[in-house]
Amino acid sequence: MAFTTLKRLFSGAKPIIALIILILASLGMLSDALHGSTNLDTLFTTLLIINVLAIILLVGLIIKNLYALLSSLKHNQSGSRLTARLVLLFAIMSFLPVSVVYYFSLDFLKQGIDSWFSVRVESALDDALELSKASLNIRKRELLRQTKQISTEFNAIPDELTALSINDIRINLGATELILLNSQGIIIASSSDESSKLLPSRLGESIQAYLNQGNDYVDIEPLQDGSRYAIRVAILIPSADPVGEPRIMQSTFNVAERINTLANSVQASYTVYRERVYFRESLKISFVFTLSLVLLLSILMAIWVAFYFAKRLVQPISDLADGTQAVAEGDYQTKLPTSGKDELGFLVKSFNLMTQKIAMVTDEANRSQQQLAEQHAYLEVVLTNLSSGVITLDHDRRVHTCNAAASQILGLKLEPYEGFSLNKLSHEQPQTLLFIDMILSHLDRQDREWQEEMTFFNATGRQVLLCRGSSLPATDQIESNGGYIIVFDDITNLVQAQRNAAWGEVARRLAHEIKNPLTPIQLSAERLRHKYLHTMPAKDAELLDRSTHTIVQQVETLKEMVKAFSDYARMPNIELQPTNLNAVIREVSDLYRNNDFGCTIKLKLDQDAPKIDADDGRLRQLLHNLIKNALEAMHDQDKPELEISTQCMEKEACKFVELRVNDNGSGIPDELMGELFEPYITNKPKGSGLGLAIVKKIIEEHGGMIWAENNEIGGASVVIRLPVNKDQRQSLGIDLQDKAGNSDAAA
Amino acid sequence: MAFITHSYIKKANSKAQKFLQRLCMVAVFTCVSTSVMAEAFTIRSVETSLVDRVYTLSAQVEYKFSDAAIEALENGVPLIVLIQIEVEQERNWWLNKEIAELQQGYLLLYHALTEKYIINNLNSGAQENYDSLHAAVSALGQLEALPILDANLTREGTRYLIRLRTYLDLEALPAPMRPVAYISSQWRLESDWYEWPLQP
Repeated sequence: MAFTTLKRLFSGAKPIIALIILILASLGMLSDALHGSTNLDTLFTTLLIINVLAIILLVGLIIKNLYALLSSLKHNQSGSRLTARLVLLFAIMSFLPVSVVYYFSLDFLKQGIDSWFSVRVESALDDALELSKASLNIRKRELLRQTKQISTEFNAIPDELTALSINDIRINLGATELILLNSQGIIIASSSDESSKLLPSRLGESIQAYLNQGNDYVDIEPLQDGSRYAIRVAILIPSADPVGEPRIMQSTFNVAERINTLANSVQASYTVYRERVYFRESLKISFVFTLSLVLLLSILMAIWVAFYFAKRLVQPISDLADGTQAVAEGDYQTKLPTSGKDELGFLVKSFNLMTQKIAMVTDEANRSQQQLAEQHAYLEVVLTNLSSGVITLDHDRRVHTCNAAASQILGLKLEPYEGFSLNKLSHEQPQTLLFIDMILSHLDRQDREWQEEMTFFNATGRQVLLCRGSSLPATDQIESNGGYIIVFDDITNLVQAQRNAAWGEVARRLAHEIKNPLTPIQLSAERLRHKYLHTMPAKDAELLDRSTHTIVQQVETLKEMVKAFSDYARMPNIELQPTNLNAVIREVSDLYRNNDFGCTIKLKLDQDAPKIDADDGRLRQLLHNLIKNALEAMHDQDKPELEISTQCMEKEACKFVELRVNDNGSGIPDELMGELFEPYITNKPKGSGLGLAIVKKIIEEHGGMIWAENNEIGGASVVIRLPVNKDQRQSLGIDLQDKAGNSDAAA
Repeated sequence: MAFITHSYIKKANSKAQKFLQRLCMVAVFTCVSTSVMAEAFTIRSVETSLVDRVYTLSAQVEYKFSDAAIEALENGVPLIVLIQIEVEQERNWWLNKEIAELQQGYLLLYHALTEKYIINNLNSGAQENYDSLHAAVSALGQLEALPILDANLTREGTRYLIRLRTYLDLEALPAPMRPVAYISSQWRLESDWYEWPLQP
């Protein structure tokens, strides 16, 4: 706290100005004191100390500043070099002229002081002093003579009566004081013209000793007020009585006023001159010292002021440099402290404005970028969750992006081909050739928007794809074409479902329309036979019999056919319950053990297979259809063999039971493979074409999947996968779609 | 141009100023004057007596002025000798308590015209003239019956201490001489503190 206050007090321009004024004032007073100013003379030492302290303070401040400057130079801080240069410049600029002035001042000073003294003046003063002394000596001798002369008057006066006459004698003598003492120095009588003086002057011991040696004493002495002189005369008065003791007479005379003045003048001048001569060297030293002090303080002040102003001057530049660097490093929040209204201040303001605008623009750009990123992420999510496959191409027909559905529908990983041309894709993945040719043909025709349905074959079979394409807007002005987007859906199931629905409707109508006239036809034929068979001749009767028989038989056949159609169209709702598939297989297969074809049926059932959620009746129908279909497919084989196997499988966390019916027949013709499970598709002379269609419908109702494949060793297999429980149907559904286009020719 | 005056100005220096001066002097003496002269002023004896309920002090001081001081004196520079007297109450448990302080000043001057050495008592204004420096210095060394303390201010059974020292007042020297005087051992004219018990 105290440190902060101190720091605040010692920073800024005010303390500098105060210090300069203080130093100048103390220097002025110092100089004045040296010249003998009465008031300042006593302050001389204090002023000296203050100045020395000021020097120490300045030196301390300069050292601190210098250290800071060197430190900042070492660390290569911005502005430090400029500060150093300015300080050096200021220091040199102040040092040189001041030094020149100092040198010449020193010279003038010494010469000036020396010029005060001259031998002639000194000699004249000595002579004046001597003259004064001589003049006073004459006066002294005169007064001694007078005193001696008048002392004889006391000879006749005894001690007791001296007091009566002493005043008259004094006045007669012209003395200011007259004292008569005995030889022991005890006053006998005294007289003084100074009424205020109560006590007579004392006779000094030295005077008494001097008198005792038989000498007369006469001397001049300065009086207490310092401006007057008195001449004191003391003589020994021998006693008139030869045995009597001598007496001492002391008289004091004032020096005439004129003499006093002159003597004072001579004394003062002489003393002053002697003092000057005596001080000559000390005075020179003092003046040189003061001058040096002034020089030192001036230089130190100049250096300090140089530091101060250099810092002030460089600060905004340094700030600007730091700010520019900060902006260069990407910190646009930099705001510099505004300094003054000069050009630098304007520069700083402009800089602040600039950074503010840059910051605003950057913020805007960042926001836009963020929005873009969010939109991108949003689109990504949308694309990922889209069931339609999406492929975008750039203007060079290279794959730009593709979504997961695209890879899934096409049955290959498209991601590795991002950035590569479509030709590379078709070259490395030949199954996509048709698909890509179709796209390229539209691109070549420069169709802006197009739609096409195509059949696509891949490893999992045949798929019907509905493709839509559109050219994208250009992203910049250079490119006229921004690329293309191709969206495609696997509509195999849709097509299948539409076809199934259409067939169901046909079957229902056929059954309805055909079934009605069949019974009257049959009844009519039987009636004809019954009425006319006996009445007709044998030859005609035989024809009638044969014809009516054929009609009745064909009507029966038609009825069965109509029933089959009707069954296909109107299947009751299924009821799912846990069903042991293996048990159902065993029961149904047992019915076909003794078949007409001499076919052996092998069961390879997985004993660990769990119960599945299924409709028992439908399962039986399914198995009847499949077995019947297989047996019929093997009618021309020598050793027909049918193998029914079950296996519990797990795929992609989905548990399901796979049922496989293998025959060793002639296999499925390629032309039938695609439409094997569609109604009214058959290659058998007596088949209705509905067996496998019904099988497929049942499987679909159970959420399972079915496909057919030709075995390598001959014959065909129908593969069915049924989910173990309902919850897993959904996940199996994906797989279902993959296999939906597969087919079998076992019908 | 005004020049160095002889007149003695009774100092009214502030305490701070005194402190600064002393600090400076101490610093200068410590740094410069390593070869300390033998004690220039010596207090030979001190005695106190009680006269009319006032304690008076008599002392004998031997002044040995250095050649530089005598030279300055004979060139007309007035010298001021100060006698500093302090009376303290002794305390066992704390620093002594000062109960009286007085300072006696004497101005010594050579009068060229009359060839006299003048001693001026700065406290009373009394002036004595002497023919020789020796006589003047001897007279200066005789301190007689100087009243220092009213007996009413003392208490029975309490111990008092009189401290006494004498020194040449460098601050009274003309300004140009002072810087030299501060750093020269020739001008370091002072006595040690002399302590004398006072028993009421």
